[in-house]
Amino acid sequence: MLELRPILSALWRHKVSALLIALQLGLTLAIVSNALVVISERTERISRPTGVAENEIVTFNFMAIPKDYDMYDAFRQDLDMIRALPGVASATISNHVPLSGSGSASGFYTEPNKETGAMGSNYYTVDEHFVDALGMKLIAGRGFYPEEIMQIDPSSNDRPKVSVVTQKFADDLFPESDGNVLGKSFFLGGDDHPIEIVGIVERNLGPWPNSSIAGRGAFYPAITDRWFYYIVRAEPGQRDEVLKLVEEKLAERDGNRVINANTMEEEKAQYFAGDNTMIKVLSGVIVLLTFIVALGIVGLTVFWITQRQKQIGVRRALGATRTAISRYFLLENLMIAATGIALGTAAAQIFNGFLVREFDQPALPVSVTVFCALGLLAVSLAAALVPALRAANISPAMATRSV
Amino acid sequence: MLKMQNIRKSYRSDTIETHALRDFSLEVKEGEFVSVTGPSGSGKTTFLNIAGLLETPTGGQYLLDGQEVGGLSDRDRSHLRNEKIGFIFQGFNLIPDLNLFDNIDVPLRYRGFNAKERRRRIEKSLEQVGLAARAKHLPAQLSGGQQQRVAIARALAGEPRFLLADEPTGNLDSLMARQVMELLEFVNEWGTTIIMVTHDPDLARRAHRNIQIVDGQVSDLRQVAQHKQSAIA
Repeated sequence: MLELRPILSALWRHKVSALLIALQLGLTLAIVSNALVVISERTERISRPTGVAENEIVTFNFMAIPKDYDMYDAFRQDLDMIRALPGVASATISNHVPLSGSGSASGFYTEPNKETGAMGSNYYTVDEHFVDALGMKLIAGRGFYPEEIMQIDPSSNDRPKVSVVTQKFADDLFPESDGNVLGKSFFLGGDDHPIEIVGIVERNLGPWPNSSIAGRGAFYPAITDRWFYYIVRAEPGQRDEVLKLVEEKLAERDGNRVINANTMEEEKAQYFAGDNTMIKVLSGVIVLLTFIVALGIVGLTVFWITQRQKQIGVRRALGATRTAISRYFLLENLMIAATGIALGTAAAQIFNGFLVREFDQPALPVSVTVFCALGLLAVSLAAALVPALRAANISPAMATRSV
Repeated sequence: MLKMQNIRKSYRSDTIETHALRDFSLEVKEGEFVSVTGPSGSGKTTFLNIAGLLETPTGGQYLLDGQEVGGLSDRDRSHLRNEKIGFIFQGFNLIPDLNLFDNIDVPLRYRGFNAKERRRRIEKSLEQVGLAARAKHLPAQLSGGQQQRVAIARALAGEPRFLLADEPTGNLDSLMARQVMELLEFVNEWGTTIIMVTHDPDLARRAHRNIQIVDGQVSDLRQVAQHKQSAIA
């Protein structure tokens, strides 16, 4: 038979230590549930689909030493050479690398000569191989023809005639079009030069996946010598070999330049380093707090059992089975944990309100609090289990001992 | 009621084996009031522990109410203890965190009685020991004699077949000791068999029979005069 009322009476007599453990549990719940929300949000950020073949792509850029270096000639020769190498699936040139933290963005309009109310988006200058080279999925229209590729100076008023955009760019700039934007044109700020949309790619998170414009992207058929990267997609499983080979061949073709090579995976890891660190730190905090709370429960239970050895012997003498003794201490622990969890649930919401208000953190869903509460309850019971089982082994003859 | 034959109990440490009881035989009949005396270390407490199923003997046979209890599991021994045996300890052994009502409730909960039945038994037993008005008091708020009366009430509430008392007046002054002894005699008159371990020869003489234990064996069985009338008076 459950002994809730007598346990409550006994706990009331030791309310300070019981309350301290309950408060510790509550505080742990508040911190752990909020930490879990942050971890979950950061993990989701990192693991969401990027729209590019991030595990197959390597990127290169170089610094040319001679002042009169013919960049456009170098691009043409390098790319022809790279595309002919074994293990290379495709290659393009782009002003920026997706997921790298470095890119270009501009304001876009549906009408000419507008200066306000722009929609922000990333933009890339690429050649006709860009869809394959980035491993993107073209879901409507077409890519670029070789004759459409221009050489432009970003500081000039050169404008491409056509563009391929991401689905999100299309949906956000033309919300009423229901995704049907082929043939529609957009404009840059204060400009009356229309740029026609000729294709739509499914997704590309862009160079800043954590920014508000992530996912919006416009690709121009253009090459610029101001910023450039060779983006090379390897055949599956051959990325590292291709990285080495291309780096070697680029140096071999022209030794008067400094080549920088990276995998897109490295670029992404670098971009998300802060998020990854946050995940690791918060995971450590969760483990540490849970360990401390478990240690507190073990300590308190062991202390109470040692203090009540005689009482346990008396209970055994009066007819308590071993199970009844273990159950008593587990129930006692459960009641402390339940109090802590009730306090913690309220504290978690208050703490979350503060985080949402002050640090723009995500709201704490009830399901996460429930999950954490159940987890802490399990930890609490597990922590009390061994001492409770040991208490059950106290002999009933303890009742007749004088010490 | 209780029959022990050639009971042995020894404790073994790394280097030494101590024989607490050796070929200990005793029979107690229903309704008897038996006192057990003997010098310190003679085996009185070991006998009480084995009689109360708090410890198992190393050898021999123990029949309680005709049932051989030697081979019972720990669980069955707990149930049997709860149903048939009431304990009164020298140090009262009340649970300090619980009031009198809840203290008496402890064995009744293990018995599985419903709340109504438990309340009936608790109130009745508190009345029997004259402490009905103190049900909500904590043990620390009572005198030693009152605490021992609560312990008796706790033992009686389960309506046990026999009571085992371990120096029940050992921690009490003479007046309180006399009151407790009178209470035990009343309980015995109502039909409960009592075995009482005591150092006090005067109290031992008030039992129907006195058993002396020396070196783990029964050394002397003496019928003593019936003192109930004088004790009550």
